Amino acid sequence: MWFLSMRHLLSRKRQTFFIILGIVLGTSAYITISGMMIGFQSYIIDQLVNNDSHVRIKAREDVVTPEQMKQVFFPNEAVGWVREPSGRKDDPYISNPVGWFNRLDDDNDVEAYTEQMQMQAIATHGHQSSSARIVGMWPEKQIQVSSIKNFMLKGNFEALAPNSKRVVIGEMLAKKLGVNMGGTIRLTTGQNGPKPFQVAGIFRLGVKSLDESMIFAPLNDVQQLNQSPSRITDIAIRLRNVEMASLKADVWSFTSGEKVQSWDQSNEGVLSVFKTQNIVRNFMTISIILVAGFGIYNILSMAVTNKKKEIAILRSMGFLSRDILKLFLWQGIVLGILGGIVGVAIGYAASRFVNTIEVSAARGLSSGNNTMMMSYDVYIYVRAMALAVGSAVVASLLPAYSASKLGPIEIIRGEGN
Amino acid sequence: MAIEVKNIVKNFGQGQPDVLKDITLKIPDGAFCTITGRSGSGKSTLLYIISSLDWPTSGDILINGHNLHSMSMEEQHRFRNRSMGFVFQFHHLLPELTALENVLVPAMKANEVKARQGWARELLAEVGLKGKEDRLPARLSGGEQQRVAIARSLVMRPQFIFADEPTGNLDSSNGEAIMELFQRFNKKEGTTVIFVTHDKNYADLANYKISLVDGQLKNSSALS
Repeated sequence: MWFLSMRHLLSRKRQTFFIILGIVLGTSAYITISGMMIGFQSYIIDQLVNNDSHVRIKAREDVVTPEQMKQVFFPNEAVGWVREPSGRKDDPYISNPVGWFNRLDDDNDVEAYTEQMQMQAIATHGHQSSSARIVGMWPEKQIQVSSIKNFMLKGNFEALAPNSKRVVIGEMLAKKLGVNMGGTIRLTTGQNGPKPFQVAGIFRLGVKSLDESMIFAPLNDVQQLNQSPSRITDIAIRLRNVEMASLKADVWSFTSGEKVQSWDQSNEGVLSVFKTQNIVRNFMTISIILVAGFGIYNILSMAVTNKKKEIAILRSMGFLSRDILKLFLWQGIVLGILGGIVGVAIGYAASRFVNTIEVSAARGLSSGNNTMMMSYDVYIYVRAMALAVGSAVVASLLPAYSASKLGPIEIIRGEGN
Repeated sequence: MAIEVKNIVKNFGQGQPDVLKDITLKIPDGAFCTITGRSGSGKSTLLYIISSLDWPTSGDILINGHNLHSMSMEEQHRFRNRSMGFVFQFHHLLPELTALENVLVPAMKANEVKARQGWARELLAEVGLKGKEDRLPARLSGGEQQRVAIARSLVMRPQFIFADEPTGNLDSSNGEAIMELFQRFNKKEGTTVIFVTHDKNYADLANYKISLVDGQLKNSSALS
């Protein structure tokens, strides 16, 4: 049937060409659009996963409620509040950090972790001031948890030795404050007067909100600044397998009083945007493939109608209904494979081209050399090929099936009438 | 007897009149047999039932002693491919294949294209189409196309040829040439030829005659 199928296709050169063109367009569009979107998403996800931790344990922030106050102070009395009690109970700290450290040390899934003290602060340099988020940590532990070291523009992250009173700050914050390497900024958390810290490094993560507010400092210096020695607010954890992050977070969250979130849980908003992007991408692709599929369906359906008599003759010569099914199905498969192969090649070429288009110099939108991010994940190409062949097979299945159901005698008898 | 037809009745649904009414006949091996009758007498229906393309409402057909209608679909198709050739009023050649490729279509089903290629060329030469093997049907006349269809029906060296008004669409000279071909193959290859015709002259060429009137057998030399 292969020979007959090929002859059928070649006898309709123009139609065959346009059908293949449709599949080529669908496949290459899928590859290029997916490459762009997945390239961008992978970069952002890489940033989210590697710039911070896989899982973060945070002290739970408890809020005072009128019911709790009544239970404690007026358990057996009716209380009418003039002004209802409200607000945070206390500064949130992790209640049993040593317990957590022991637990994490014993867990084989944990690659590294670092305790942190994070808090809001005001940074000033001369007359310039800006709000900031200080992260107190141990640098040798921090670099095992996140890839901050790779984003250093100036200085050395490991210079943040205990009691060194040094900081590493975001590039945009440094610009805002007008401070450079070696300069001194003053930090206060509101607990005490401002304390001087020397700028030992400047980083650029590529995320504006972080680059204009984040400050890294030695953990004990931050604890001192906040007048809360030995206390920590966060534990940042890196797992051996990032895929286990949300599972681990759920388990730890269930068995502790702290708030435990995986990187994907805390970036749910960003990931849901990606999901929407993926839906749009798939919808577009499906639309293009559907158009090509309908083309195949129409042409093969017409071929079945036009070739009824030839089908009857083939059946009378001993061809089985499954032979007739194969006759048309082969055509769909060949169209899908040819269109898929050419589409994959053109899609790859288009991706290479898009990859050279220059975009904003801002990180996060572009690859290292300020050109469009592009993914060449083999999965995109396999999926594109499968889509091309799959849609062609599905589109040819119905006409092929209806052709296979044609009995010779009905057609031959019909011709005499 | 090559073909035995026993008490065949055919109608096209309950309450519909019988197109064939209790037909019983025998056709010997190597016969040159015609089925004649007026329009609507049931001659084409009888031909299709004998050749297993259609099913009787009741009755049996034995070919070489085997009941074709009790065979599995696969066996039936294999038997049809190997032992039967068909020629219809319209040639129904595959337009995208050359004359030679069209002749070889039954061999494609049997995976014997290479083995039958020489014979297919001989057949085309025999039907007067030497040198036109590579022509597409569109570049052949109506008579030539029908001759290709005859060569196609013979390529598997079948025991039987069933032809439904094979000359019905041709002028008299082409019609005569076609009948001559049938006669030649009947004599040379011993092929049993059973054909439906309206034409009395062609019917007279037969050594076995089946005549139908309103679905009933009349004056048949093939009567048992």
